Formats: sequence, C-alpha cells, structure tokens
Amino acid sequence: MDSLLQQLERFSEVLAVSRTTHVSTWDAATVRRALQWARYLRHVHRRFGRHARIRKALERRLQNQWKQEGGSGPAPALGLTNFQALGHCDLLLSLRLLANRALGDAAFHYLLQELFPGPGVPGAEEGTLQGSLALLARRRAAVHMLRSSAYRENPVLQEDSLMKTQAELLLERLQEVGEAHAEGPGRFLSRLWEHLPHNNFLKVTAAALLLPPSSPRHQEEESELGNPRRAGERGRELLHWLLGKSEVIVAFCRNLPAGLLTSVAGRHPEVSRVYLGLLTDWGRHLHYDLQKGIWIGTESQDVPWEELYGRFQSLCQAPPPLKDEVLTTLKSCKAQDGDFEVPGLSIWTDLLLALESGA
Amino acid sequence: MAQDSVGLSSDYQFWIQKLSVWKQASTLETQQDTCLYLPQFQEFLRQMYEALKEMDSNTVIERFPTIGQLLAKACRNPFILAYDESQKILIWCLCCLINKDPQNSGESQLNSWTRGLLSHILAAFRSDIKEVDLFTQGLGYAPADYYPGLLKNMVLSLVSELRENHLNGFNTQSRMAPERVRSLSRVCVPLVTLPDFEPLVEALLTYHGQEPQEVLWPEFFGAVNEAFLLKKICLPVSAVLCLWLRHLPSLEKAVLHLFEKLVSSERNCLRRIECFMKDSLLPEAACHPAIFRVVDEMFRYALLETEGAPEVLAAMQVFTRCFVEALEKENQQPKFALKTYFPYASPSLVMVLLQRPKDIPQGLWHRPLKRISEMLKEIVEDETQGSSGGPFENWFLLAHFGGWADIAAEQLLTSVGDAEPPEALLWLLAFSSSPGDGPQQRAQTMVEVKAVLSHLGRLLRSPTLSAGNLLAAAEESREGDPRPPACQQLTRRLLLNFLLWAPGGRAMARDVITLVSLPFPASCLSLTAQVEDGAD
Repeated sequence: MDSLLQQLERFSEVLAVSRTTHVSTWDAATVRRALQWARYLRHVHRRFGRHARIRKALERRLQNQWKQEGGSGPAPALGLTNFQALGHCDLLLSLRLLANRALGDAAFHYLLQELFPGPGVPGAEEGTLQGSLALLARRRAAVHMLRSSAYRENPVLQEDSLMKTQAELLLERLQEVGEAHAEGPGRFLSRLWEHLPHNNFLKVTAAALLLPPSSPRHQEEESELGNPRRAGERGRELLHWLLGKSEVIVAFCRNLPAGLLTSVAGRHPEVSRVYLGLLTDWGRHLHYDLQKGIWIGTESQDVPWEELYGRFQSLCQAPPPLKDEVLTTLKSCKAQDGDFEVPGLSIWTDLLLALESGA
Repeated sequence: MAQDSVGLSSDYQFWIQKLSVWKQASTLETQQDTCLYLPQFQEFLRQMYEALKEMDSNTVIERFPTIGQLLAKACRNPFILAYDESQKILIWCLCCLINKDPQNSGESQLNSWTRGLLSHILAAFRSDIKEVDLFTQGLGYAPADYYPGLLKNMVLSLVSELRENHLNGFNTQSRMAPERVRSLSRVCVPLVTLPDFEPLVEALLTYHGQEPQEVLWPEFFGAVNEAFLLKKICLPVSAVLCLWLRHLPSLEKAVLHLFEKLVSSERNCLRRIECFMKDSLLPEAACHPAIFRVVDEMFRYALLETEGAPEVLAAMQVFTRCFVEALEKENQQPKFALKTYFPYASPSLVMVLLQRPKDIPQGLWHRPLKRISEMLKEIVEDETQGSSGGPFENWFLLAHFGGWADIAAEQLLTSVGDAEPPEALLWLLAFSSSPGDGPQQRAQTMVEVKAVLSHLGRLLRSPTLSAGNLLAAAEESREGDPRPPACQQLTRRLLLNFLLWAPGGRAMARDVITLVSLPFPASCLSLTAQVEDGAD
C-alpha cells in the first residue's frame, strides 16, 4: 500500500513537471518510463476502482495538495487532482508533453512513435491512447462546429450547457476539496475569487446553486463508496462561502441579471433574505428630485431606479413564498416611512405603485 | 509503386484546390461541398500516409513540397477533423514530417511548425471559449477532463430544444427556426458515428416541424443510413422508421444492402437468413404500409429480374414471416387494413394466407389449403375478372407465404398410397410451380404428379425400395420420356418431401441426396432446415 502511495506521489510530480521547461532534459528513455508509469497507474485505477478502502487511501493522498495554504497561481495543482484523473492519467501526460515546446526533438519523435503507432488492429482502438487522443480531437471539433453553426446561448443562464458544465465541475472540485479538509472549500473559493474574472465566476456560482440536487453519476459513485451524505449537500459549502463574504455577495446581487437572481433566491431562502436586505439598502440611498420628478442617487455606485424596479418586478413574478416575502418587505418599509399613498415621498410607495400598475 | 505515385500526384493537386476553396467551411456552400467529399478525402489521406511513412522527413518535402499547405488547410477545416478517422490519419501524416535529429535551421523550423499543427489538432479551437478555459484551469481541470461532459450537455440541450417543438404546437416563439435545424443536420453529417451524437441524431430524425417541405438536409439522411447499415450507430426502430419514411433512397439502399448480404454469404440456412432479416429492422419497419410496399416492390423486381431465383424467393418468404410476426407483436388491433399492404389481392384470400399453420392442428390443415386452392383457382381461371391481377400477381402473393405450398406437398406425401390425392392440393402445387400454365397444361401436370405419387406409393410397399428406384420414379414420366422442366422441378420437390415425410423416407435420405447432383428448388431450403433441426 505504501509503495503504491509513493508511486502515486512521484508520478504526480512527473505530471507536474511535464508542463514545465524542465522536460528539455528528458530523452526518449525518460519519456518511455513516464508513459509506462502512467500506464501502470491507469491499471491501478481499473483494478482498485471498486475497492473502497484502497481507493479512499489513494484519494486522500491526492487530496493532500488541496490542504496546502497559499499557492501563488489560481491553479495550485499541476499534478493529479483526483482519483478519477488516474483513469486517464496517460492521456493527461501525453497531452502535456505534446504541447510542451521545451521537449527535445528526439524525445518528441519517440513520443509520437509511442502514441501514434499507425493503423493496426482496428477493434482494439477504443482502449488505446491513439484512440483516446483521436476521440478528443474529434470531440473538440464537434463542440466547435455546434457552437459556430447551430448553438445559441440559452437565455435561461442556468440551463446553458457551458454554464452548466462549469457549474458541475465547480461542485465536483468543491466536494473533493471538502473531503480533504473541512475548511478547504472556503479557502479554495476565496483563492478562485482572487484570480478569476469575476463576472464569469459569479454566473457559474449562480448556475451551481441552481443545479438539480445530485446528478445520477454522482449518486452511483457515492453508493459504491458507501457515502450517502453527499447527495444534496454539494451546493452547501458554496452557499456558505458566498453568504460569508460580503464583497462577493454584494457583487453577486449587483451584477447578475434580475431573472437569474430571482431563481437563486427562490431556491435558497438565505439568499433571498440577503438580497432583499441589499435591495432595501440600495433603495434608501436614493432621494427624490422634485424638479425631474424621479428618484436618483447621489454617488456613481448607487443603484438607479430602473434597475431597482426591474429587480423587484422580477421578484414579484416568482412563485409564492418568495413573492409574498418581497411584497411584505416592501409594505413594511413603506409603513416605516410613514405609509404614504402619495408618490414622491417614499421610494417604497412609488415602487409598490409602479409594480401594481406594471403587473 | 510508380503508378501509384502518379495517381497520387494528380489527386494531390485536386485536393489542394478543393481545400483552398473550402477554407474553414464557414459558409453554406463550402459546408455542403466538404460533406460531399469527406469519404473520398479520407481515402486520399490514407493513401498519402501509406506513401509518406516509407520516406524520411526530407524526402517527404522533396516529393511533396506543398504538403505543409495541404495538411494545414485540412487541419483548419472542422468538418474534416470531425469526420470518422480523418483526424487520426492527419496526425499520422504529420508524424511523418517530424525529424528526429534536425541538422539545420530549416529542418528545425519544419519540426517546430509541425509540432504547432499537432498541438492545434489536439488542443484546437481554444480561443473559442476562453472564459471556460480560464475557469476550468483555475479549478485544475484539463480539457481532456471536461470535454466529454461539455459535449454531452450541449447535445442534451439541443435535444430538449428539438423535442420542445412537439409540445409547443403553435407557440412560434420558442420553436427552433427551420434554418437552425437544417444547419444542425448539416453539422451532424461528419459526426453521425460519434456515440455522443446518437441522441441528437435520433431527435433530428423524429423531429417534425411545421413546414410542409423537408427541413433536414438530404445528405444527413444518407450519412445516417450509411452508418446504420454498417452498424456504426445504434438507433431505435422508431428513428429508423422516420429515416426511411422521410428519405426513400435510404430505404432502397437498406433493402439492397440486405440482398447483397444474403447473396454473398456462402451457405445460407434459414436461421441465418432470419437473423439478417431481423437485424436489418426491415420487417418491423414494414408494419408501416408505405415501407412494406416499397420493399415488396423491390422483391417483385428482384424476382422478375432473376426469373424466380430461389434465394430471392426464400428471402421474401422469411421477410414475410418476420413481418407478420412484427405485425402481431405490435398491437392486437392492426392499425392499417390489410388492403393497404396487399392492394391487388382479395382480402379474404390474404386473411387465409396470413394464418399460421402452427396455430392450426395438423389434422385440420386440409381446410385452409382447400380454401386457398379454390380461391386462387377461381381468381386465376376466371378470364373475365381482370381486377385481381394476372396469374403472376397471385402467384407472387402466394409466394410470400411459401409455407402453404410446402404444406400441400407434405400432406400429399404423408398420405401417399392411402387414398386418392385431393384435386385441390394438386392444383395448388401445380400452380405454385408454374403459374403461367394454361388450364390444359396445368391439368396435364396434375395428372403427372398423381402418377408420380401413386408410383411412389407402390414403391413404398414393395420390398425393392432403394435410392435408385426412387430417383427413377422421380425422373421418368409415365411413358418413359423425360418430363418438361417445370414438371421436373415439381417432382424433385415431391421426392424431397417424400424423403422427409413418407414413412421410411428418411432412411433413404442420405443415399438419395448423394445421388442427386442437380439443385433443388427454393422451398426445399425450408425443408432442409427442418431436416437439420430434426423438427417435424
């Protein structure tokens, strides 16, 4: 067992190195050894995939890397990231070496000979590296063709396949990180927030919060490992982190489209509470301009009336628990302000009037 | 070798030109043209590879100076990369360009360029979804990890969009525009054999828009059919049915493909024919009358062209049997009246013919047989009736259900020597073996058959029963002259039946068969199968 774990770690290092310029020192023999190693570990994956104890031990060792604090770049892990990756570690290694310009010509030539032996026994293609690489190229061409010809971004963001895929990946990774260390997810997410473009990240977060409770594949894997508690918990850590970081939740509520936020608020009452709180806060920053006859803000970052109205309108189109909560909030704010019916005195009155006439 | 390379050079010029026109296949015309040539281009690539792999990198450049251009252009065309094995063969060709030990800067540059192109194939189109790439990298995933999942999600999303059209009815807003559906079917042409695309192919095949004309691209049907016939794609019967209903050439190709398979196999026992038949999904699809009629028509042509070849006859009988089975399995109440399947036949005749002998106790077989014989006799010999087709049509109908003629023969022989053979059975046998005879000729045949039967009956009771006299009985006529050929076929068939059914016949079987060198008529295929099975 121990030797297996060592092998795992050492290969993980090799995999990490394969992306760096260090490979310029590799010759054909080194490449051969690396490929053999990958093949061996792939065999390990096949052999022990269903063996819960061994698999757990291997996973734990791989998850250790997530425990490390700091980390300069957004991607701390250059090596193997989870047990699943073992299943195609030879593919990962091959792709990295193929793309690495630092690899010498002789070593590269050898690599090509190993990876692409040419036409052989047709039936055995699927299992071979040659077959997998060709399949990957084919799939990428397929994605490109679909995107440029027939694909349209789904206006319902959480159902857009690109968003969904990213969301699924995020939750998957969070689960692994969470298994390694209880506070892992929080730190991991903070690191992502620091390094990735915010807009996409927020959209993916929303999509992740709106994914169905558990995909069938996960359920299957979990039942194999005897780990039933995972189902339905996947979004919890994400939600917890989101609500815990004020900077993030404010950006979340401010920048995402109204419809998307309504869906998220509908699914997660904790979010609806914070969202409503923010909306009321933003509303209070506006004052009535008597001359122009509209509500305006004083500072540039104030949320304008139109946007505020748009968001409330979307919320009022949500199904009952949320819709009622919103109306109750608006009415109580209106009451706090003095319960005026005349426009121009309380923004809450005006909002309610606009919503009623608009609806 | 020299001749090959000459051919290759001219092809090479052709393809370089084509690729230059296609560029990245971003317009309708270039996409259409690319799709038409995909298989040929792949074949050309294979030939190129065979030539290149014998040379080293420098020789390649000498021989084909513009090879770089060719390969680069091919790599930029996503349709080519998406098709079948083209991406793999392109990679092989590129591998031939890599120099293990570059001596000068020119060779190094070539290496570098080639490596770039290889990267492009395997890491292509990265700029397309930059945000996704960044995000997934941040998570520590490589494209190899998430591309399968992404493709699956995209396909599912498109499938649900296509399916939604059914439910929305007149809600024009959420319907997929016909141009998009068409474009989607075009994109699918090179990707039909990719397993991830199966749900999309199925959804497209079963898609019904509101437009009166066909919205899917015809080459799409052709590509799906090709893949289906070569077993490179797995489709449910409902999808295949849609394919054949919407695109007649595909159905015709499917039937021809079946014929080829049946004809090219060495020795076809019934079971094998049945296997091929069921595999082809044609019997199930034929439950839809339009498909049945087309297939039937093709059988008719085949029979006419081959002048009643036994193989075709046997295939048709198996087809009909499988078809009837499928009809019964499908639903208790038939969706279409029998007349839609057999418009030229009398419905009552068809009803009797459709009965399965297995469902009737053997002792009662003479009843339907008599009915069939009488009905056919009435139709065929009544000259005033022109409507139910001539003798050929009725023979053709009977030939579908070849089992009845066999049973008639069986009945005659199991009771050989006992009583007078019933006229109805004799008539049926005579008709089935030569439908074109006039009434007099048929009567003559019936007399001959009767004579053979009584001869066989006498032989049975005689102590000198041997393979020799059996054959003699079959070959010679009453007067000792050889019989007319159609009659000969019939008597030979009777002989075989005799070997199977008459008491003591089986004992003689091996001897007789070794003596006989001439081919047996088609229906004997079913009989030999029964001998093989040991069934009775």
